[in-house]
Amino acid sequence: MFRYTVEEVLRRGTLLFYFIIASIIILILALGIGHPVNDPDAITLFGSPIPRVSEQGFNMIEFLLIQLHSLSIFWIIILGMFGVAGLVPSMLEKGMVDLFLSKPLNRAELLMARAFGAVTGIALNLLYFFVGVWLVFGLKAGVWHWGFLSSMLYVIYAFICFSSVITILGLITRSASISIMLSFIYTIISWGLELREHGLYRLWDNVVYQRFLDTLYYLTPQLNAMLDNSTRVIGKLPMMMNVPDFTFMPFLYSFFPTCFLFGLSIWYFSRQDF
Amino acid sequence: MEALQTLDLTKHYRSGSFTKKNIPALEKVSLSIEQGEIFGLLGPNGAGKTTFVKLILSIVHPTSGSATVLGYPLGQRKLKEYCGYLPENHRYPAFLSAENTLIFFGRLNGLPESTLKEKAHALLETVGLKDWAKVKTKKFSKGMLQRLGLAQALINNPKILFLDEPTDGVDPVGRKEIRDLLLSLKAQGTTIFLNSHLLSEVEMICDRVAILNKGNVVRTGTISELTTQKLAYHIHLSSPLTKEVRERLDQTILPIEYHETSLVVTLHEKPQLNLIIDILRSGGIGIEDMTQQKTSLEDYFIQIMKGENG
Ligand SMILES: Nc1ncnc2c1ncn2[C@@H]1O[C@H](COP(=O)(O)OP(=O)(O)OP(=O)(O)O)[C@@H](O)[C@H]1O
Ligand SMILES: [Mg+2]
Repeated sequence: MFRYTVEEVLRRGTLLFYFIIASIIILILALGIGHPVNDPDAITLFGSPIPRVSEQGFNMIEFLLIQLHSLSIFWIIILGMFGVAGLVPSMLEKGMVDLFLSKPLNRAELLMARAFGAVTGIALNLLYFFVGVWLVFGLKAGVWHWGFLSSMLYVIYAFICFSSVITILGLITRSASISIMLSFIYTIISWGLELREHGLYRLWDNVVYQRFLDTLYYLTPQLNAMLDNSTRVIGKLPMMMNVPDFTFMPFLYSFFPTCFLFGLSIWYFSRQDF
Repeated sequence: MEALQTLDLTKHYRSGSFTKKNIPALEKVSLSIEQGEIFGLLGPNGAGKTTFVKLILSIVHPTSGSATVLGYPLGQRKLKEYCGYLPENHRYPAFLSAENTLIFFGRLNGLPESTLKEKAHALLETVGLKDWAKVKTKKFSKGMLQRLGLAQALINNPKILFLDEPTDGVDPVGRKEIRDLLLSLKAQGTTIFLNSHLLSEVEMICDRVAILNKGNVVRTGTISELTTQKLAYHIHLSSPLTKEVRERLDQTILPIEYHETSLVVTLHEKPQLNLIIDILRSGGIGIEDMTQQKTSLEDYFIQIMKGENG
């Protein structure tokens, strides 16, 4: 099931799209980055030199990597959602689910193989992009930026947490489109909860309401916080001076809700009649 | 040991997320199926045939009652290892070829990787899809999917095979092939459990049948038990009946169906046949031909359903 799901995910149109975009970006970088003939220490992008440290005093390479990183997580969340949200509902389709459930596998195995197959499919795409960009920067510019490479792991972790939400939504709604919509709403809620002190708190000045938002924040995987933090692994730009430092906390906090959601999914799935 | 035994197996579906309406699908079904027989479960639409099979394979959970397959209680992994299942309206991942579909399901059955490809090809050959091995299943016609489904159900050499409307959508030649296949499986000792409403087919291959109506088993028995109870004779006459002969026949108070130059008489006991013949002969009416009528399973089924529902 696991292997089959990975294959299915990689064949999805949306992820092929991601794959193509990633390839184009890697290709452009590979062609564009080089050293000027006279100075092996400097780096050029399409002929124009990139100073390692700009006049404003920030690391241009890191700036570029952060941009690429943000771009990549934006796409992977959007495309990943479209590519993966249909997987559980499609397994539950009439005529298909009967076949799967009649096999000597218990339902927990079946569901987890599906969920983690999906994550693996996404992870392979991320791996391709991150390693590709990292190699280009390393080989062509001599910048082996380990922070960039390791930030990938945080993105994958964040996607696992996200997939626990997608899985349970797919299981309950049994519909790809509705679960895409709801997971999208979840990403917005996650973002809203992250910024609750500046936004949602102000809507209603009530302690109970505010504590409710706090509870909700800690009860759901903190997708937004995790993605933000994964960016901070790469480096910090001077213009982001007021942004807090990287912290493991959202990753840690998200671990429990993720396990809880997967557990709930398994429990729900095991009780269902098909 | 029985291949399949159920005791008071009951299923009430709960439908509607909020209303939780109770839909009784199966009521205290107790069946016992011997190893090596072909057993047919018959019944009109919505009788609960599919539900019964789904209960056995833990696709739905029983409301009450219990069952064992080859001695294993419901829900055990071992139980499913011995089962093959062809669901109704089955569907396959559209992006896999016929060959890969079989390999995929073989893997889910936990079969060793090395034997899978060979096994898949052998089965595709058996069900007549040899030339379609590399074709994606989304291009398959209904009958071809049905054949693939059958191959899929056989991938793990099941000891007991559950088939839900196996010949649905298959052409007459294909049906014959499937029947022959089932008979050859039976010869190898496979127990076959068949859901169907194609009674003529069931009649041809099943050893025993159970008739299900609204979730209740209304009859069980061998085909011959269910079909030859009636002593009905179709008598062809050389000339039309005269009024006088007809009156005398009516006096016998046997149920008689009159046609232009023939009649169908249903007897209570065999010697009554002589009485009928005497009446006809003495009235000067010759007998051209006489055949004993068997109730077909279909007649029997319709009769039962009328009795049950009317
Ligand atoms: N998942 C379900 N949820 C609720 N009710 C169901 C479900 N599946 C079946 N039923 C109900 O259970 C009853 C029996 O259905 P089942 O599918 O077992 O009948 P069947 O004998 O297989 O019919 P058919 O010959 O049409 O295949 C029907 O009244 C049906 O409406
Ligand atoms: Mg049915």
